Amino acid sequence: MTDPFEALAQRVAERVLDLVVSALDMNALLDRVDVNALVGRVDVNGLLNRVDVPALLDRADVNALLDRVDVDSLLDRVDVNDLVRRVDVDALVEHTDVGAIIARSSGGAASEALDAARSQVVGLDQFIDRWVQRGLRRKHPAPAGPPALVKGSPIQ
Amino acid sequence: MSAGTRADRPVTSQGHYAGSASRFLAYAVDSTVSSGVFALALAGISYVVSVVTGSHVSWNKGNIAVAIVFAGWEFIYFAYSWAASGKTFGMAILGVRVVRADGTAVGPRHAVLRTLAFPLSFLLLGLGFAGILVQREHRALHDLIAGTAVVYAWDARAARLRFLAREAEPAAGSGRSQQENG
Repeated sequence: MTDPFEALAQRVAERVLDLVVSALDMNALLDRVDVNALVGRVDVNGLLNRVDVPALLDRADVNALLDRVDVDSLLDRVDVNDLVRRVDVDALVEHTDVGAIIARSSGGAASEALDAARSQVVGLDQFIDRWVQRGLRRKHPAPAGPPALVKGSPIQ
Repeated sequence: MSAGTRADRPVTSQGHYAGSASRFLAYAVDSTVSSGVFALALAGISYVVSVVTGSHVSWNKGNIAVAIVFAGWEFIYFAYSWAASGKTFGMAILGVRVVRADGTAVGPRHAVLRTLAFPLSFLLLGLGFAGILVQREHRALHDLIAGTAVVYAWDARAARLRFLAREAEPAAGSGRSQQENG
């Protein structure tokens, strides 16, 4: 007795569902969904804990993935100069084998003495120049060097 | 290793106009070396002459011929050095070099002109050198005539890195030996 009614009810329900779904504007519906709130309710860490990353990586063809990366355009977007400026080269030299390589590649005591002597003389140059500029009451700083050698020097 | 901005620290003096102390000391070294080489050459000639002819040759400092030869030697010493590499022996030691006013490499013409104009700075009671002190680009009279300038040619930043490397190497070496022993 119930089978014909059930079948009918099911057909009616499916038909109604089709009509409702076809009448729905899914984009408008999605626009009304607060995705941030939705994501906020998701325990991402818990989700990630359940992911078997090694198995995932085993299934991924990393080489194929890298082949699809446009490295040139990626590097174009990186400010390498800024990156290098942020590196503490002094610390790099002091705490890594780079320092040892530099020390071995550069000269010995003579080179060290020459560096020290030149540094002293440059200091004396700057000391004299500072007092001369002060004595001449110059307001504008002099150019640091010839334009071809020092960036920012005015071209004459 | 720590990352930090180092843009505030002067990176190098390379290419900057050289100051008076560096230039004076470079000239003092050059003057000593060129005079010493000349004196050695005269002594060598005297020795060869005495061996060959048996007669002793003495060089009178007031001799005009010796003075002319000395002037010629000084001209060659400075002009050749500046034309070849932009620096003399003294300049190489002090880490400075001669360039054209715009910073490009000095050629034979500028080198010869600078060498010829160089004595003028002396002849005007040394006032020609005052430009090194007071001129904005530290250019002496002979620099202005020849269209040249003197700049630092050594990399102060590289020197500091070498210094740090030498400081760090003993510590790194002892650390490695401890690891090897352990």
